[in-house]
Amino acid sequence: MTTGLLTTTVGSFPKPPYLQKARNAFASGKLSREELSELEQQATREVIALQEEIGLDILVDGEMARGDMVVFFAEHFAGMEVGGLVRSYGNRYYHKPVVKGPVRWQEPITVDLWRYAQSLTDKPVKGMLTGPYTMVEWSFLEGYDDFRQAVLEMARAVNYEALELDRAGAPFIQIDEPALSTRMEDIDLAIEAMAIATEGLTAKTATHICYGDFVSAYPRFLDMPVKQFDLEMANSSHDLVELLKTEGFPEDKEIAWGVVDVHSHEIESVDDVVAEIKRGLEVLPPERLYIDPDCGLKTRTWDESADKLRVIMEGVRKVRAELGIE
Amino acid sequence: MIATVVGSYPKVPNKPRPARLRLAINKFDRGDMTLEELDRVADEVTIEVLQEQVEAGLDFVTDGQIRWEDEQTYLARNLEGVSINGLIRWFDTNMYYRQPVIEEPLAWTKPSTVRDYTFATEHSSKPVKAVLTGPYTMARLSVDRHYNSVEALAGAFAEALNREAKALQDAGATFIQFNEPAILQAKDDYTTFVASCARVVDGLSAETGLYLYFGDVEGIYPQVLDLPFDLIGLDFVMGAKNEGLLHRTPFTKKLGLGIIDARNTRLEQPAAIAERIKTLGAGIDPDNIHVSPSAGLEFLPREVAQEKLRLLAEGVRQAEGVLV
Ligand SMILES: [Zn+2]
Repeated sequence: MTTGLLTTTVGSFPKPPYLQKARNAFASGKLSREELSELEQQATREVIALQEEIGLDILVDGEMARGDMVVFFAEHFAGMEVGGLVRSYGNRYYHKPVVKGPVRWQEPITVDLWRYAQSLTDKPVKGMLTGPYTMVEWSFLEGYDDFRQAVLEMARAVNYEALELDRAGAPFIQIDEPALSTRMEDIDLAIEAMAIATEGLTAKTATHICYGDFVSAYPRFLDMPVKQFDLEMANSSHDLVELLKTEGFPEDKEIAWGVVDVHSHEIESVDDVVAEIKRGLEVLPPERLYIDPDCGLKTRTWDESADKLRVIMEGVRKVRAELGIE
Repeated sequence: MIATVVGSYPKVPNKPRPARLRLAINKFDRGDMTLEELDRVADEVTIEVLQEQVEAGLDFVTDGQIRWEDEQTYLARNLEGVSINGLIRWFDTNMYYRQPVIEEPLAWTKPSTVRDYTFATEHSSKPVKAVLTGPYTMARLSVDRHYNSVEALAGAFAEALNREAKALQDAGATFIQFNEPAILQAKDDYTTFVASCARVVDGLSAETGLYLYFGDVEGIYPQVLDLPFDLIGLDFVMGAKNEGLLHRTPFTKKLGLGIIDARNTRLEQPAAIAERIKTLGAGIDPDNIHVSPSAGLEFLPREVAQEKLRLLAEGVRQAEGVLV
C-alpha cells in the first residue's frame, strides 16, 4: 500500500459512444429505462476497469447516468423542474432547471450506481454530488424571493443524499461547487451551505471548484468545511502556489492537485507532470497531497482520458520512487 | 418611451414547435444540407424572431443575432489576424464562447453584420437597431499574442468595429449600439475604455448607444455621461447600485433602463414595471427612455423571453399613460 501521492480523478469520464446513442434513444422514447440502465452499468464497468488497469488509487463511477451535473439532481429533487431549452454554446442546448418551490430531497439518487461501482473493485470509490450553491446558481430561481434561503434549503437536500451515500459505505464524498469560481464574493454563503451539506458525514469530504480566484479569496476559502480541496493547479497562477507556500495551508486539510489540463487535447509529458507534483510537494507532504487531472474528463475522448491518466500515473510513480514511497 | 431589447434573442423554440435552426445546423455539420439551405433557415428564423418582438409590443427591435455563434466569434472571425480558440465561460453565465486569439495585427476587410441588418429592416414592421459587441469587451475576452497590451488591442478592435459601424451606417442604420459588459468587471481600466469608445464612434453620424450590463457603474459614474454616445443603457437587475447613483447625479443622456431580468425566468408584472420606470426615469423626458431587459435574451427559453417582452411592453405603455 502506498503512503503518499494517492491518485484520483475529479469525477466525470467521457461516455462511450454506445451510451451517448442510448441516452438519445431514451430521450426520444425509443429505449426503455431498464435498457438504458443496463448500458449505464456496462459503461460503469468499463470506467472502473480502466481506472484499475491504469492503477489509480481512489476511483469514481464516472457519472455514466448523468448529463448535466445540475439537471441530473434537478430531475430528482422536489421543488425543481427541468425548464426550456437554453443555449450552452455553438449549437449545443440544454434544458436549464428551474427552482420552483421549496426544494426537498425525496429518494436516493446516486446510491445505486455508486454501490454497483464499489461492488466491482476493492479500491475506494468516491460518491459524487453537485453542491448546493452550484445547484441554485446554475438554475432559474422562481420559487424563492431570497437566493440565500434557496441555497441553504438546497444544502439540506444535498445533505440527505450525502447521508445516504455515507450509510451505504462511501468512504469519500465529494461535493462540487464549480459555480463558485466566477462568484468568489459569495464564498461565505457557499461555506455556510457546505456546512449543512456535510453535516453528520463520517466519510472523508472533498470539494472541487474549478478555475476560481483563490488568491483573492485566501484565506477565507480554506474555511470551507471539507477535508480535501480538489484544485486545478496545472494552469493556476504562480501566485496561488506562492501564497500557499508562504502563508501556509491548514495542517488538517489535503489538496488534490490537478496536474493535467482536461480542456486540451494535447497529452502532457511525464516531465511536466513530475514538475507539477514537485510544485505540490513544496506546499504539502506526500500524505496530504493527492494527484489528479484538473477537472472532470467528460469533454475529452476515452483515449485522451486514458492517456492523460497514464501520464499522471507514470509521473506519480517516478516521484514516489525518488521519495522512496512504496 | 421606447420598449426594446439589448441584442440577442433565443434561437430555438421549445416543443411542440420545431427547433429548426438547431436541426439545420446539425444537418449542415453532417454534410446533409448546403450553406444556401442553412442560410435560408436562418433567414426564416430571423423573420420569426422579428415578428415575435413586434407581437410582444416592442417599438425597436433587433435581428436577434440569430446567426451569431457567440458575441465574440461572429465579429472576430471575419477579421484578419484572428484565429478562434477553445470554449470559455462568458462572464459568470452558464454560456460559453470561443475565445478569439490575436495572432497578427487586426484588419477589417469585409462587413460581418451588414447583410443581417439589411435583411432585418426589410422584414420588420418596426425600426431595427444595429448591435455590435464593443471594442473593449472584444479585447478583454481575446487572447492577445500580438499587441501585448489591452490598450493597443482595444484600439485595434475599435478601429475594426468603427469600419463595421460605418458600413452599417452606409447601409442605412440610424442607430448603432455597442455592448460593453467587460468594463464593469475592470473599472481600473477606464482610461483605456474611454479611448476605445472615442475611436469606435469616430466619424459616425448615426445615433449611437452603449449598453453596460452584468453589474453597476459605481466608480465610473457620472464619468460615463461624458462618453461619446447618445444613449447609455444600464443594468438595474445585477447593478442594484445604479439606482442610487442616478439619484445622486442626474442622467444627462438618453437612458436605457434594463429592468427586466434577462437571466431568470421569473416574470415581472406590468404594474411593477411601470412603477420602476416612473422611479428610475423621474426627471427624464419619456421620449429619451428606452426600456429593455437587463441584457441579451439568450439566457432564457424562447417562450419565456417573448412573455417577458410582452409584459415589458405593457409596463411601458402603462408608464407612458402616467408620465404623459
Ligand atoms: Zn472543474
